[in-house]
Amino acid sequence: MNQADLAIVGAGPTGLSAALVAARAGLKVWVFDDNALPGGQYFRQLPKQFRKTRKTVYDKEHGRASELFTAIHHPNVTYLPNATVWENPDPGILAFAAGERSGRIEAKAILIACGASDRPVPFPGWTLPGVVTAGGLQNLVKGARVVPGERAVVAGNGPLLLVVAANLIRAGATVAAVAEAAPATARLWRNLPRLLQAPEIVKLAVNYRGLMAKAGVPYRCGETVIEARGTDELEEVVLAPIDTRGRLDRTKARTVACDTLVAGFGLNPSIEMYRLLGCDMSYNSYRGGWMPKRSDDLETSIPGIFAAGDGAGIGGVEFALIEGKLAGTVIARNLGALDERTAAIQAAPLRSRLERFRKFRVGLERVYAPPSTWTELATDDTIVCRCEDVSLGEIRAREAQGFTSAFAIKGSTRMSMGRCQGRNCLPTLAAHIAARDGIAVEQVAVPRGRPPARLVTIGDLLQEDLPAPVFPTDPHLPRGEEVI
Amino acid sequence: MAMSDAPAEPPDRCEIAVVGGGIAGLSTALFLARAGRDVVLLDKGSPWGDSSGANAGTLSLQVKRTEMFEMGSTSIGLWAAFGTEMGIDVGFHQPGGLRVAESDEQIAFLREYGAEQEAVGFEFEWLEGNQLHDLAPWLGPEVRAATFCAADGYASPLIAGPSLIAGARKAGVRVISNAEVTGARTAKGGYRLSIGRRSLECEYLAIAAGGHSTKIAASLGVRLPLWVDCNMLTVTEPAPRIMDKVVTHIGGIMSLKQHVNGTVLIGGGWQGRGKFSRQTREIDPLAWVQNVGLGARIAPDLKTLRVNRAWAGYEAVTIDALPLLGRLPGLENAYVAAGARGGFHMGPGQGLVLSQLILEGETGLDISRFDPARFPQ
Ligand SMILES: Cc1cc2nc3c(=O)[nH]c(=O)nc-3n(C[C@H](O)[C@H](O)[C@H](O)COP(=O)(O)OP(=O)(O)OC[C@H]3O[C@@H](n4cnc5c(N)ncnc54)[C@H](O)[C@@H]3O)c2cc1C
Ligand SMILES: Cc1cc2nc3c(=O)[nH]c(=O)nc-3n(C[C@H](O)[C@H](O)[C@H](O)COP(=O)(O)OP(=O)(O)OC[C@H]3O[C@@H](n4cnc5c(N)ncnc54)[C@H](O)[C@@H]3O)c2cc1C
Repeated sequence: MNQADLAIVGAGPTGLSAALVAARAGLKVWVFDDNALPGGQYFRQLPKQFRKTRKTVYDKEHGRASELFTAIHHPNVTYLPNATVWENPDPGILAFAAGERSGRIEAKAILIACGASDRPVPFPGWTLPGVVTAGGLQNLVKGARVVPGERAVVAGNGPLLLVVAANLIRAGATVAAVAEAAPATARLWRNLPRLLQAPEIVKLAVNYRGLMAKAGVPYRCGETVIEARGTDELEEVVLAPIDTRGRLDRTKARTVACDTLVAGFGLNPSIEMYRLLGCDMSYNSYRGGWMPKRSDDLETSIPGIFAAGDGAGIGGVEFALIEGKLAGTVIARNLGALDERTAAIQAAPLRSRLERFRKFRVGLERVYAPPSTWTELATDDTIVCRCEDVSLGEIRAREAQGFTSAFAIKGSTRMSMGRCQGRNCLPTLAAHIAARDGIAVEQVAVPRGRPPARLVTIGDLLQEDLPAPVFPTDPHLPRGEEVI
Repeated sequence: MAMSDAPAEPPDRCEIAVVGGGIAGLSTALFLARAGRDVVLLDKGSPWGDSSGANAGTLSLQVKRTEMFEMGSTSIGLWAAFGTEMGIDVGFHQPGGLRVAESDEQIAFLREYGAEQEAVGFEFEWLEGNQLHDLAPWLGPEVRAATFCAADGYASPLIAGPSLIAGARKAGVRVISNAEVTGARTAKGGYRLSIGRRSLECEYLAIAAGGHSTKIAASLGVRLPLWVDCNMLTVTEPAPRIMDKVVTHIGGIMSLKQHVNGTVLIGGGWQGRGKFSRQTREIDPLAWVQNVGLGARIAPDLKTLRVNRAWAGYEAVTIDALPLLGRLPGLENAYVAAGARGGFHMGPGQGLVLSQLILEGETGLDISRFDPARFPQ
């Protein structure tokens, strides 16, 4: 079996920065990522087939990115692109599918740096062509240098909306409206001291707003999308005011014509690896829902398993970079590659920067705290599980028959059984049940994740050298234990 | 997959109490209610939440032991009848099944075994070489011979569960979730069941609680020896049609089928890691790859598909692989159906037997080999 000191899942900002620190300290590091190129979401690269004729604003991060990408060439690093880590078959071991290189690895420490995914919020029309998520739009811009339309509305919740709007403007699209559901502007001043803990990010936001102002893009807080309309594709969106308690005023709705709607309601950490590993979890709605419990050293409840970056609670790229470095340092120390003193010296500025960003994050979360759980946007016709085409109406019909738990709804509608493995629809289902029963989302029991962590190709699995199966002498006879 | 959990309290008394909302218990309850009887079905969690909700749905007659021929054929008939005669869609399909062999040894065994089965009434067609690969061009080159059984098919546990629960309710069964029977004792003219702090009195008792049947029977002083396997199952993403028959393997444990929605189910009874005593059930990632690998050897197109999810569940069986089906030894009006190998397939037949025993005191099927009294008390 392959051996490593440290196995890292995810080659985004978190995974790469951890790899660099750990490799420089002398650890033998393996990095797995299911994309063709390193960078994760934030440093998503153009495919190699693309040729750039000139530098653009998207290359402004070139410096930081190329420094980070040196990680994959470091002599102590083995980097596997197109590699999906799918299971933790035994303590300290990861199984991965990577074409001919598929196999298993035994590592003294494991860092889960799997990032996040868009939080889907179903509303009427959200499945129309022309409606994309905020993360999806960023991927198009970064990974293909395209924007999907000419006249866009940006709506939802959270700071990523500003980034999206700025990118659309830079790409030459008309942004007809930006609707932020939280009364963010009103809350800004109260939280300014916290926000100013990270002036570099505040400056970015100011720039985005400046860009929007210059382009004459209206930015409204306390307004949300309630419907996307169109015959075959998006033609207009309906926006309605929403008060601080989350009450929608549909009587004051307005329609805006557009061919693109970017709907971003925040991100959810990718938690499938923790579920397979059996890490203790906690719930924080501001940071994307379920996430692993961690020590100050970013270690999960399982010794030797670390979690960092957006996959451990949404914090954005700066968080990801610091946490990655800190994880790399701590792991190098734990494995004896850095002595206590050196490690402490190396970690000190990271910890204080992290502290600063934590305060900033609290400010940001208060500014953008969503005023609603969004469950009232969907109607009976709204699809809530896209893989299996399940509408809210179907769920309600099953509920009327007595199928009320998440398990029973899953089993009777196929909801969450599709390609997304429930990533997209289970949070929706949990929110629906919570609202229905008047309980907190974290109290809703939902079906647990099952292996593989992500879809893996059977042919890949068979690349491994495995002992030939032994058939039972009589398949009819019991193979398990006697009931006592 | 757990199903239906409308909050309801168990009543204080009823004529017939069925314990367990899997395929055996639901069939029993449904047939009794259709005959006009007063039935309460109790499940400790949600009905369909244990084996029946986690299984592969294979209804393969030809993999069954000779002793199970009558029960197996009757059950397939009932699986068909749910939809055609009772208006209960169970996702039943009968494309026929191939039981494949790869090595000389396996081919010899397939012939030998097949001859024994044919002697008691099984019907299948022997296929090898080109003939086999013309019928099923999607089989891999290592598959050299097979028997084709036209009776083989499958039902969809996902469709069957909600339909049977709703169907049973419609027929008058009171289906109660979260009602764990923690003990039973004889009471005047019947039985008194403890359900947490409540109790239920009934004239007739039918135990169909899978591996948990042992404990319930023990409270009545009856020994029902059961073992519990921890089977793994795998489902792929939906794909264009790559196979059109149910596949099993003579060498032992394999089942393959492609559903109407394009997903392929790979199972057969490969053991996961789990202990019934601790209620743990996980994938064994080594055996799992071997299981999936064997599937891909039989149907090589599987190699291009992606696995969506895999899980493990329990299958309760007896040491002689025949069900515990019939009257509890030493007791009147108390019955059990548990421990059949391939108990999903056999569930409707077992339900029919229990309902006939309760309705008429006898059944037309020969259940002498399944008598729960055959094991020492
Ligand atoms: C779609 C999307 C777009 C985003 N765009 C932006 C943006 O433009 N600007 C911005 O500031 N923030 C953006 N974000 C937020 C982003 O989460 C952070 O800025 C940052 O990228 C987080 O870094 P990370 O390393 O923690 O995670 P990521 O950058 O997400 O990296 C995690 C990596 O792990 C891989 N991975 C996950 N599970 C497995 C597995 N089982 N096996 C193998 N590989 C695995 C993922 O494919 C990914 O490449 C985006 C988020 C999403 C979901
Ligand atoms: C992965 C897998 C694949 C399988 N594939 C097949 C296949 O392809 N074909 C096939 O024929 N068979 C298959 N089987 C076996 C089959 O699933 C079982 O034999 C069958 O479902 C048993 O049905 P049952 O009704 O007896 O038990 P169950 O379905 O287990 O139902 C028993 C019910 O009793 C309830 N219960 C238990 N204790 C109590 C109590 N004290 N009080 C109240 N209620 C209680 C439980 O909650 C449960 O709902 C498979 C099994 C597994 C795990």
